[in-house]
Amino acid sequence: MKNFIPMPQNKEEHSLTYQLISFIFSVMLVIFFCSILATRTIYSKVMFKSQLNNMRHLVHERIYLIDGIMDKVETLARTSQDLIVNHDLSPEEIERYLQTLLTENNQIHSICLADGFDSGANPQVMYTVRQRFHSREIINTDYRYQDWFQIPYLTGEPYWSEPWVDEEGKGEMVISFSIPFYTTGKFNGLLRFDIELKYIQGLMTNNINFKIGNNFIVSSTGTLVAHPDQRLVMNQSLFSLSQEFNEDSLAKLGTAMTSGKNGFIKIGPNSPFKDSWIYYQPLVRNHWSVGIALDEEYLMKDINLILFIQTVTYILMFLTISMVIYFRTKSVSRPLKALVEAADRIGSGDFNFHIPQSRSSQEIAALSQSFSTMQASLKEYIDKLRVTIEEKNKIRGDVIYASEIQTKLVPENTIHPFGIRDLRVYGILEPAGDIGGDLYHYFLIDEYHFCFVVADVLGKGIIAAMAMTMVSTFLPSIAPFYKRSSTMLKELNNFLCRNNLESNFVTAILGVIDLRSGEMEYSNCGHVPFFIRKIDQSLHKYNETHSTALGVFENIDIGHDVIKLDIGDEMILFTDGVTDAMNINDEFLGIRGLQEIINNLSTTTPEDTAHQILKEVHDFARGSSHVDDITILVMDYKHPGGVLHS
Amino acid sequence: MRRFLAILVYLGMIIFLISISTCKSQETKGYERHLPSADQKTERFELRFSPKWYPQAQFAGIYMAIEKGIYDQYGLDVSLKDPLSGEVALSLLESGQIDIANFDLSQAVMTNCDSTRIVNIGQISQKNSVLLVGKRSRGISSISDFNNKKLGIWRRTSHIVTEAFIKKNGLNVQMIPIDWSVQVFIQDAVDVINVMRFNEYYQLLQAGFREEDLFIVDLSDYGLEIPNEGFYVTPQFFQEHPEECRAFLQATIDGWLYAFSHQEETIDLVLKIMHDANIRANRAHQNWMLDNMKEIVMPSVAEIGILKRKDFEKTVEICHKYSNLKREISFEEFYPYAAK
Repeated sequence: MKNFIPMPQNKEEHSLTYQLISFIFSVMLVIFFCSILATRTIYSKVMFKSQLNNMRHLVHERIYLIDGIMDKVETLARTSQDLIVNHDLSPEEIERYLQTLLTENNQIHSICLADGFDSGANPQVMYTVRQRFHSREIINTDYRYQDWFQIPYLTGEPYWSEPWVDEEGKGEMVISFSIPFYTTGKFNGLLRFDIELKYIQGLMTNNINFKIGNNFIVSSTGTLVAHPDQRLVMNQSLFSLSQEFNEDSLAKLGTAMTSGKNGFIKIGPNSPFKDSWIYYQPLVRNHWSVGIALDEEYLMKDINLILFIQTVTYILMFLTISMVIYFRTKSVSRPLKALVEAADRIGSGDFNFHIPQSRSSQEIAALSQSFSTMQASLKEYIDKLRVTIEEKNKIRGDVIYASEIQTKLVPENTIHPFGIRDLRVYGILEPAGDIGGDLYHYFLIDEYHFCFVVADVLGKGIIAAMAMTMVSTFLPSIAPFYKRSSTMLKELNNFLCRNNLESNFVTAILGVIDLRSGEMEYSNCGHVPFFIRKIDQSLHKYNETHSTALGVFENIDIGHDVIKLDIGDEMILFTDGVTDAMNINDEFLGIRGLQEIINNLSTTTPEDTAHQILKEVHDFARGSSHVDDITILVMDYKHPGGVLHS
Repeated sequence: MRRFLAILVYLGMIIFLISISTCKSQETKGYERHLPSADQKTERFELRFSPKWYPQAQFAGIYMAIEKGIYDQYGLDVSLKDPLSGEVALSLLESGQIDIANFDLSQAVMTNCDSTRIVNIGQISQKNSVLLVGKRSRGISSISDFNNKKLGIWRRTSHIVTEAFIKKNGLNVQMIPIDWSVQVFIQDAVDVINVMRFNEYYQLLQAGFREEDLFIVDLSDYGLEIPNEGFYVTPQFFQEHPEECRAFLQATIDGWLYAFSHQEETIDLVLKIMHDANIRANRAHQNWMLDNMKEIVMPSVAEIGILKRKDFEKTVEICHKYSNLKREISFEEFYPYAAK
């Protein structure tokens, strides 16, 4: 048995420990990925929202600061303009007033007054250096083409300029608020208040309380006017960076910031703002916009830490569980291995091998106990089996021997039995098993009387064979005394009734042919009919029975019939094994079927006829599991072929 | 198949290597052809050149000629003076404070409207770059929309061709002289602005305008395809130093050829010069400018540095028609190389 069980190639891979650990690993892996996904999704949203809120607050704070300064400067400029236009102040008074503003408000970097434009007066630029007031007249008329002058001049509206370098003043980069004024509806001058760009830039870097990638201001054209990287300031706009670094998101940011919108945007990997989130919001006073960029890496720092801790925890959990499983399954599998070894030994026939008893667990102990019980039962069973097989082999040997004897009891086929010239006889006996219950037999009663018998003992096996043997030996022994078919069968019946222990009844046809006259006397005791095929191929069926089967009721009367045989008559006798043959559809061949077979015969010798019928019956029953003893006995009387042949 | 491809690749590499070596030898030959003698090299001729505009890639050929010592090889010591144009440049040329200045072709023709005061010693621009742009959002989507609008024109450089366009199309616009800033246009102080395609136009794109936001008039599309700047000297200077003038042009052309074939290096230098001069600069803009200059300076190698007779005659015709040019100016008088 052992050789037929395919054993695993790699024992490690199929061990319980290995399978348990791999199963736990798979389950934990699924749980790990689900939890990582959930953590990342949920936590990142929460953290992201919180960081973005921080950024929003910071931008609000910056805007509040910058707008506050701008508002103050704008208000001072408007108040001064009102003072100059609507109050009759002398140039000295105006200068004194502006000087006071300059010294008292450090946000104001310089002031320029272009009063009396009509009368051709030159503008005056005022500023302080180390608390010392300076006032200078601008002689060069180029100022008229500078944005701070030309734009409010042309539009008639106050204007916050882009950063520019005031060469006529302190030579610093400033942003200016210019407010034009009119005398009787005609442009007559302009007042300009400047804030140093560095001052605004300083507001962006003060008091930033958490790490920010970039914080910046862009002007109304998207130009960077404040940024930690000074190389970008005033040189690059968000649009130029977008072109230079081929980063479309920067152009989108530029469009959003220059059109006064606020919101968040993710910037791609190229450009100085690489992979950062930007919150932007416009200033109230001019069309500038403040943005704070937070490095995505920084934004994701906390979530990455959580994910890292989670991963390490999972790895430790897995290792711990794996180790516990490993050692536990090892201790469990040790007695199991011993049991397997024991089973192997028992399997190979060593029934006395000692099965180890384990107390490591209740289940293993129960298993060991069951193994022991099984071992004992197996041993007992195998012993019994051995005896049975020995007996069976002995019986089988007897049966084979009985079969040989039975075969020998049936007359050996010769063309003219006992040298009888007028008869040709051929018989076939095909038992279903080793030995059968059918019989045919023929013998000479005396010089002129030929006796034949075909019988079928109910049942199969040894008992039937014994009954058959009794019939085939009894009849020849009494035939010389009785000679008639009916009396011979009556004697046989009484003999069977007396000696048949199993009450196996026997059907039989027995006939006696008078070889001189060709008269045949026969008796049918519960047997199937027989046929006579005439030389002209016509067929006669003889189905009269003259008593019940033999061996049932003692002293019954048995009748007989006499037929006058014609030259060439072929008698075909058989047992019910022929007519009861079944095909695969469980249909019997029947008398009618047999009749058809015989009708189609074109044989000329009993031997051919017997074999042809047997072949047809076999063909009919092919594929069917039903088997019975088959006996066919064919005899012809004074057949021309037979006579000629002889 | 693989073998065939390998042979093709080898052939390609051989052709490439041969072409490189040929180019190099041609370049060297070119320099050698124009190189003055060893004695002249030691005594370099000093030339003072005033470009028409602030430092930018528009003058990249000149920067590279200086940087790479090409002028030196031609026996010249070229120094760059402050940007000048028009009347100021003319007076400095005539007073001998500078030797060479940039003028637009139309501006130079009109400078000579009474007599020959300057002559062309090399035409760098072969194409018109002047555009007029208006905002579609302000209702400007055709030329007729220019009527009764403010048009910003450069106060320092020539706008003869722009004026010719206005007159030719019978438009009524208010000309507003402006400086270099495009803020007047962005802040709607003017409705239409004069821009150079290679410079201010791109500044507008870098201020967030998209091409479709703007109504763009290319003067070339309206029969005013007049090239822009060239190199000019006084007739006297040319008579006294014809070889140096020729050498200056040739060295400048070599500078341009170098700039076009070494774009990254050139842009690095341009950006450095601009940063040193405290001028706003970014790489994308200067790249765009240099790309444009390649088309402007060298539509084909044969045209580089040459003033074409048809361009001159067309300019004179336009000046006759739309400016105050009364006399006939001959090509030979204006462009002394034409006479030779």
